[in-house]
Amino acid sequence: MNPEFQRNVWLELTPLRLVVMAAVLALAFFAAALSNGLITPGGVARALFLVLVVVWGTHNAARSVVGEIRDRTWDSQRLSSLGPGTMMWGKLFGATVFNWTGGLVCLAVIAADTLNTAGIAAAFAEVVYYVAMGVIATATSLSASLIGARRRQGRTNIEVFLYQVAGLAAALAVAVIADPTGSSIGTFPRTDTLLWWNRTLPTSTFLLASLAVFAGWMLTGCYRQMRLELKLRNGPWVWLGFLAFMGVYAAGFDAFAPLHFDEITARLMLAGLVIAGLAYVAAILEPKSKVQLRWLGGEFGRFHLGAALSHLQCWMMSYLVAAAIAVALMVRFAMLAMGPELATTGAVLGFVTRDLGVIVLMAMLTRRRGGDLLALAVLILIYWLLPSILHSLQYYGGQALFLPYRTDPLWMSPAAAWLEAVAVWAIAVTQMALSEKSSR
Amino acid sequence: MITVTDLVYEYPTTRALKGVSLHVAPQTITALVGPNGAGKTTLLRCLAALEDPYSGTVTVAGHDTRAEPRAIHALLGYLPDFCGLYDALSVRRILTYTARSRGIAPALTATAVEKAADRVGLVDRLDTKAGDLSRGLRQRLAIAQAIVHEPKVLLLDEPAAGLDPQARRDLSALLVALKTAGMTLVVSSHILAELEDYCSEMLIIEDGLIVGGKAIKVKDVERPRYFVEIAKARSDLKDFLNARAGVDVIEADEYHALFTHARSATARARLIRDLINAGFDVSAFGEATKALEAAYFSQVGAKAEIGR
Repeated sequence: MNPEFQRNVWLELTPLRLVVMAAVLALAFFAAALSNGLITPGGVARALFLVLVVVWGTHNAARSVVGEIRDRTWDSQRLSSLGPGTMMWGKLFGATVFNWTGGLVCLAVIAADTLNTAGIAAAFAEVVYYVAMGVIATATSLSASLIGARRRQGRTNIEVFLYQVAGLAAALAVAVIADPTGSSIGTFPRTDTLLWWNRTLPTSTFLLASLAVFAGWMLTGCYRQMRLELKLRNGPWVWLGFLAFMGVYAAGFDAFAPLHFDEITARLMLAGLVIAGLAYVAAILEPKSKVQLRWLGGEFGRFHLGAALSHLQCWMMSYLVAAAIAVALMVRFAMLAMGPELATTGAVLGFVTRDLGVIVLMAMLTRRRGGDLLALAVLILIYWLLPSILHSLQYYGGQALFLPYRTDPLWMSPAAAWLEAVAVWAIAVTQMALSEKSSR
Repeated sequence: MITVTDLVYEYPTTRALKGVSLHVAPQTITALVGPNGAGKTTLLRCLAALEDPYSGTVTVAGHDTRAEPRAIHALLGYLPDFCGLYDALSVRRILTYTARSRGIAPALTATAVEKAADRVGLVDRLDTKAGDLSRGLRQRLAIAQAIVHEPKVLLLDEPAAGLDPQARRDLSALLVALKTAGMTLVVSSHILAELEDYCSEMLIIEDGLIVGGKAIKVKDVERPRYFVEIAKARSDLKDFLNARAGVDVIEADEYHALFTHARSATARARLIRDLINAGFDVSAFGEATKALEAAYFSQVGAKAEIGR
């Protein structure tokens, strides 16, 4: 047996806990059966699954790494011969083995309940939905705690709670989008079919397949975070594959997007926006240490491109892909003689470049945790406070200094964006050079 | 076995190691000493491939910590300064988990667990929960965890913390036995007396740098330093001792001599007998126990002199 899973089983599945779990579940279902239809056992099972696997399971998954760091056992685990896969599975399903034990009982009741009322297909869909929700939620919490470990975040209960909240947010997103019994998909009314890449697909099948694929990506993310914690290097291809998947997945929803462009342009825009969004998320979450940037620069300097690629962080790759899509869009707009759209796309790319520079600069300036919060504050200032002030002063043209607005002349907004981007990156690079010089 | 070249390590606000270079020979016990905050723990963590250096290289048994960290992890045992244990698990289960997670095959695990527990004197407590152990016994368990897979290199950060005098003596014997069995050990501490019994080399780290730039040969554990004191002055004391087989005099005057000699009770008894038979009024004879301390303060003192 996986040693990490075995250790968790020793800790989590004690006879006393199993007896208490069995007693609580039996009492809950018995009470539901006696309630004369007020509450059904299926309803109780759904609620208990959410409490046991989603709420409590995310807590245990988040604690599985933070608790090791706090109890000073994490270094021993990192030095062990367990591979990242073994460690990841052992933690994800070991730390939550008690929760899943109860959850499996609940799933059996849910399946039986749905089987009675809606048939085997609905029962299967509901089981897949709940399993995927549990896996995505707990894997998100574990992944968040691994990111926290790499960022040398604290190890208090507050951090555990934050990582748990990340898992709960993922579960909420699953519930809002993919609940097989729900009447809407996000903000759109749920219909029997949906349009994706011009194909009409059954909604429930599409959502279940999407859930399974996203659960797979979440597990892949956990595995890759674990690799980094175990000092293994991640190559660029899996993240690039994820970006490609996300771009293709998002581009397929062009029929839902309120974009008044032709099909190809709309799809490129959707893919570009999603990948640019991932660049922001990755830039905020990934540790931006001077050491990593130094090694990356060194590998590029020595023309060791293979090694340099393995040092590229996810936000860098996401930015490069988003920039490539933006350039493709600009070429397309130029070919279609759509000057304003061309200028706006150039401005958006400039502002994204600037924003990533702000995030890196704040990390370099603070040299401690908190740089990302400062960067978020600066971005709020840039995108909300300053434009609001300019708007209240009725200086509408000035807003183009901070937001990709259409200007007259057209080049003003992209020029401002790129001027700011160059300035921010110049300051960031100077700051890196100065801090290196001062620490010698 | 371990080679460090120009190692620089930075925390976000401070440079902890400022260009450390050192070499640790195989099958030695090297003391890593220095005041609190000197960089001992950071250096050990870099040697264990747990931290990436800002610049410089660390190789352990030919593996670079940045290129092949997992290869280094596989041949390493590491006892951190504050080692946590799973309090709800028994000693046996903790060691079983460690052995299995360190790649020991299931069929060999029970034997490895028994052996490690025996080495640290915990055989009679295999079924006791770690949370019920005293501080000293917990430290022994932590040491057992570090050696259960018979690593080639053992890094110990303050291993004697919390141990009683008897356990410290047992620890010394254990570390010497591990060295004899082929392990290379680096032991960090800021308590010199603790390292005196088993360390043969010493690295002094101060303010992120190795004082003197290299390891100092402190003593040969197999040939410790002994002193002899005689009540009546004899100018031939040094010559007499030098003429004995296996004796190397380090320094001597008419009343005292400091020399190295094999760590053998029989050989020592013979030497004392020879001295008495030759008419020396032996008033004191014993092992010189302050070798490490003397070496430390001579180096730190020399540095202070240079600094003036």
